[in-house]
Amino acid sequence: MTGHQVTAVRASRAALLVMMMAIGVGALLSASPTSAQEPPPLQSIGGRVQNRFVEEGERVTEPVVGVRIIVLDEAGTEVASAETDDEGRYLVAIETPGTYTVRIDESSLPDDLTVEEGGGEQEAVVAGNQRVTRAFFLGTDTRDIRGKWSLLPQTLANGVKLAMIIAITSVGLSLIYGTTGLSNFAHGEMVTFGALIAFYFNREVGLNMLLAAPLAVIATAAAGSAQELGLWRRLRHSGTSLTSMMIVSIGFALAVRYVFLFVYGAGQDAYSDFTLQTDPISLGSIDLAPRSVWIIVLSTLVIVGVALFLLRARFGKAIRAVSDNPELASSTGIDTDRVVLVVWTLGGALAGIGGVFYGLEYGVKWDMGFTLLLLMFAAITLGGLGNPFGALAGSLVVGIFVELWTWVVPNANDLKTVGALFALILILLIRPQGLLGRKERVG
Amino acid sequence: MNWSLIFWNALYTSISAGAAGYCLIASGLNVHVGYTGLLNFGQAGFAAVGAYAFAIPVRTYGWDWYWALPMVVICSVALALLLGIPTLRLRADYLAIVTIAASEIIRYFLNSVRFTWLTGGNDGRNQFTDFFQDLNPLQNDARYKLGAQSIDGYRLFMLLLGWGLVAVIGLFVWAVMRSPWGRVLKSIREDEEAARALGKNVLAFKMQSLILGGLIGSIGGLVLSAQTQSAQSGAFATTLTFFCFVIIVLGGLGRVKGPIVGTIIFFFVIQLVDNLLDQATRNGHLPEWLVDENNYGQIRFIVAGAALALLVVYRPQGIFGDKREQVFDVR
Repeated sequence: MTGHQVTAVRASRAALLVMMMAIGVGALLSASPTSAQEPPPLQSIGGRVQNRFVEEGERVTEPVVGVRIIVLDEAGTEVASAETDDEGRYLVAIETPGTYTVRIDESSLPDDLTVEEGGGEQEAVVAGNQRVTRAFFLGTDTRDIRGKWSLLPQTLANGVKLAMIIAITSVGLSLIYGTTGLSNFAHGEMVTFGALIAFYFNREVGLNMLLAAPLAVIATAAAGSAQELGLWRRLRHSGTSLTSMMIVSIGFALAVRYVFLFVYGAGQDAYSDFTLQTDPISLGSIDLAPRSVWIIVLSTLVIVGVALFLLRARFGKAIRAVSDNPELASSTGIDTDRVVLVVWTLGGALAGIGGVFYGLEYGVKWDMGFTLLLLMFAAITLGGLGNPFGALAGSLVVGIFVELWTWVVPNANDLKTVGALFALILILLIRPQGLLGRKERVG
Repeated sequence: MNWSLIFWNALYTSISAGAAGYCLIASGLNVHVGYTGLLNFGQAGFAAVGAYAFAIPVRTYGWDWYWALPMVVICSVALALLLGIPTLRLRADYLAIVTIAASEIIRYFLNSVRFTWLTGGNDGRNQFTDFFQDLNPLQNDARYKLGAQSIDGYRLFMLLLGWGLVAVIGLFVWAVMRSPWGRVLKSIREDEEAARALGKNVLAFKMQSLILGGLIGSIGGLVLSAQTQSAQSGAFATTLTFFCFVIIVLGGLGRVKGPIVGTIIFFFVIQLVDNLLDQATRNGHLPEWLVDENNYGQIRFIVAGAALALLVVYRPQGIFGDKREQVFDVR
């Protein structure tokens, strides 16, 4: 098949998915698939080249401009190169994940500078979607043993970024658990669904992300309420036990996940907007791409909004009442079914937002939601099952823990999630009810 | 359409050595879920441990099989203790979440670039099956006819060994579940509080069940990897656990023959669907924009997922189970 045919096939399959998931808009728009520009690869190696020296007893660090950085693959062939800019920064895009050697081209150094022995070459293990930082320092080492510590703020910032995405998705999961008692293993697929719908509108239809993202959120909200009305409400009313419903959600998740693979394919891809932003916003030693800053800000706003809704709004109070005690809530005149429907819709919308953010930050993949699901469960278990504010606290811990892992254990990026899952098991040993959970819920 | 090939291949797959491996893993899971009511969603982790605890000593360290086989038992029991201690006291959904997380931790480790020297990383471990080849009384590379299917001597031996193990372990589970010990497990499944009130140490029994089922799962994992002569972390993803759930629910939870009949039906149906789609796409019977040779392989997962959901809702007792045994009502 030619490239154009592949696009056409994918467009048709995507249209199928959109129709299946019950939003009619997709079918109208699928007629005009414009193939958007191929976005650059998601992996990169970046960092700074700096010169350190002591001047009048002060330690000075200065950027080194115009140094050529070469990236070699394991066979020793050059795969990419870049020059440092005015601030001594470089950024090299990496096509395929793997182990690379990052080397300073010594002939490109200013005449008065030399590389210390063994200091001009570093190894970098690049996993999918990762931006690996490799800094080079010329001159004598005048810093104390600060190398690792100076990377900490950046690590924490990355952790907060991931934490916000986990938080925005896991609050919905936690609310669903709280109001219905269901551990919904299909919540990750809602996240993927949001990311994929945005991908469809962005890459296949050609809409800007600023338009595609709201459409995706509407779609996931609709998918959430459709699930509740078509599946979960019926099961609840027919007296299906919670354990059975949990297993149903696992089967449902498996089927839907492979429908995504069937429609979207196994590859990893990126949106065409906001993807490679080489001009980061710097705050001290922290560099964040503008989109990351926006993701953190917007997620915080959404989460504060949800929290205020739960604490202040009449309906939010009804949700919390149902979480506390469904029978009592229903006997005081609260329409529990309506509350649960709103929770599913809200949970779907939040999952959609999280999916779009996750896709922007780490790329779109058919099983991205499943990877995130384990982190979400870790977060809500850590925070105390069923407590939405616990989910927030847990998300922060999990997100930061995941990134901190890469800081503590270098070159183990593919083991990132392991740290968080370990934390989950440890917390269950020490404090089974979670950080903000109540003891009687454990039982 | 070559109907006889489609049929015979599906039939062979349903009784192949790989199916026997799945049957063992599912039998172990049946001890957890069907007999004790423990919702273990990390059975793939036990299977992975079974495969790698044999393959790593043999391949990476050059141990003999008689040292490597005990490693399978030791590692499997260790994993059961590691999983059980934090979670068995907690509610069912905690166990489900933690076990699924643990099996993913194991898979991430086995797949990690950092431990390639130990586990073979993404490629996994191969050339560790000398033991099974030496054990084989048949010629390893001779061809044998099984209906319309032709397989080599090694596969045939693994097929017989695998189903032989299924029979032996099945008899053992059957006997042990009739014993007082097994009755305590069932009573825990039906009413944990009542079992505790009768003075049974529920936690200890649950742990023993987790160890027994995990060990059977590890043996299954070893058979599964030995028959392909390759231990690969990709084979031990969560879908393995979910397939085993479909198998035991289909056959009937808490029945020795459940996993056996479940495995045969499950693989027959899955392979039949696969073969039909394969032939249909080759001959152009299906629209290309919908199904092509690259993606019909995913249909089996969609079928399995839908089957699990539908079975649990409409026929939770499967084929042989008893609806009065309320396996899925444990809280």
